[in-house]
Amino acid sequence: MKGFQVKWLLIFSILLVFSGVGGITASAAVDQRVYDNADLLSESEIAELEAVAAEHSRKHGTDFLFWTTADEQSLYIQDDMGDFYDTWAEENGQENAVLLSMNIATRDVYLAGFGTAERSLDNQRVNLVLDRIIPEMQRGDYADAFHETVTTSSRYMEFRPGVNPENIFFKTWFQLAIALLLGAGVVGFMLYNSGGRVTTTSTTYFDDDHTKVTSKLDQFRNKTISRRKVPKKSSGGGGFGGGGSTGGGRSFSGGGRKF
Amino acid sequence: MVIQYKCPNCGADMSFDSESGHLSCPSCGRQDEIETFPETNILRKFDPGEAKEYHCENCGAVILTEAETTATHCSFCGAPVLIADRLSGDLAPAKVIPFTISKEEAVAAFQKWTKNGRLTPRGFTSGDRIKKMAGMYVPFWLYDIDGTADVAALATRVRSYTRGDTIYTETDFYDVRRKMDLSYLKVPADASEKMDDELMDKLEPYNYEELKDFRMPYLAGYLAEKYDYDDEALFSRIESKIVPYIDSYISSTVSGYSTVSYTNKQIQTNKKNVYYTLFPVWMVYYDFENKEHTFAMNGQTGKVVGKPPISPFKVAAWFTGIAASTFAVMKVISFAVGGVLW
Repeated sequence: MKGFQVKWLLIFSILLVFSGVGGITASAAVDQRVYDNADLLSESEIAELEAVAAEHSRKHGTDFLFWTTADEQSLYIQDDMGDFYDTWAEENGQENAVLLSMNIATRDVYLAGFGTAERSLDNQRVNLVLDRIIPEMQRGDYADAFHETVTTSSRYMEFRPGVNPENIFFKTWFQLAIALLLGAGVVGFMLYNSGGRVTTTSTTYFDDDHTKVTSKLDQFRNKTISRRKVPKKSSGGGGFGGGGSTGGGRSFSGGGRKF
Repeated sequence: MVIQYKCPNCGADMSFDSESGHLSCPSCGRQDEIETFPETNILRKFDPGEAKEYHCENCGAVILTEAETTATHCSFCGAPVLIADRLSGDLAPAKVIPFTISKEEAVAAFQKWTKNGRLTPRGFTSGDRIKKMAGMYVPFWLYDIDGTADVAALATRVRSYTRGDTIYTETDFYDVRRKMDLSYLKVPADASEKMDDELMDKLEPYNYEELKDFRMPYLAGYLAEKYDYDDEALFSRIESKIVPYIDSYISSTVSGYSTVSYTNKQIQTNKKNVYYTLFPVWMVYYDFENKEHTFAMNGQTGKVVGKPPISPFKVAAWFTGIAASTFAVMKVISFAVGGVLW
């Protein structure tokens, strides 16, 4: 029983140490992050989005940018997005950014990560963010979709590059469930065995000399063969992109969808 | 018939000593081989009266016993007494495993066992409230079983391989048939009504190398019971006991397949030999919080069985401890792998 207190203290101090590590702060001194050229958001929605974006930009040292347009002539949203970003980066002297671009005329949306975000928000994570915001975009709920883009991307960027942030082993509820199940299982096993265990097995009274197979038959009967195609790795319905470079030579991770 | 073994030296009542395997005298310490004990010192007295009443040859008191009891102590002078007519004739045991654990060793082993109780209340783990210990020979039937099994099964062997962009899954079906001779030796079942079957099953296994031909003196100093159920009555219990053993042997003979489903299983078992045997059991009566708990200890191996009291606090503590440390470990791993705690 004495060990418990020590154990708790240890766990608590580990938690304390680790929770301190997450808070890397770097100031990204930019005053505008929402460029709503297509007029999809109201004044108050823009103000709220700016506040959220500013908060998470400070946290990661990466700017969360939004750029909307209504250009019917646009062929590839990546190219337009690249041009916008090259201009923005030179004007503000910033190279780290997460940029959500959307063309309301062609109903394209593209999420890209530049600079450090190219690794911390890689193609896989971009697609995970898009999975979550596309339903809201389809409903026309742009303010919420943008808000979620910031919070979800920011959350994913806390994870070490390369791991899947949606992996079930990172979910607290799953970890808790495993812990409770294991606790219940072990204690249940101890309770079950508290009155003594059956230790006889099928070999305890087995008579080796006189137990034997006297006749044995393994007759082949028939054979069935089933065929199926090797499943192809699907690359997300209607998705496009997967990163590239802007006209100004800035490489990025990214992914886009129709909505 | 009442039998007492009188010490050739001093005339005191001798009893079986589990350590030496001899008859030993508590007064002068004399030890005698069971096989060579002088016939003249065995005191037998036939009592024509009530089956439940015997006169102690030592002090003259009337011993009252239950009808099943074959060995007991005189309740007045404490002399070990065997009631022989209950062990003779049809009832005579064929084999016996003598006690190898003395009373002191049994107490020590029991206390060690209570100390290891992880879920038992603190007061229980001290093991110092043994109310009564009784060394008892419990009647068992040992069955030599032979039989045959004839099983038929449909088995499959599955393999899959890829050619080009197609995955082929090939399933071969086989008719499998096995006939076998079965033999199991000395499968025990306790024949006493008083003893809990589950408890007695958990006491197994006994080491049969020390199985001896029955001799009366082994019982001196211990309680002994006569069987309540005969070998016919218990055979169904034996069958249900060995069916899982037979099943596991059958499946061990059908190997190398992906799936096996039995279409026909015919198992016949017969008893070849039956031995009426006495197994040594220490019964421990333990007082805890005004309740008597009964435990049984294998008098040969020291294994203890019986339901101990459970402390809800300790159960909760273990559960919390295991769950919390698992949770912490998973958090540490997820931090190490993903860099995120929450």
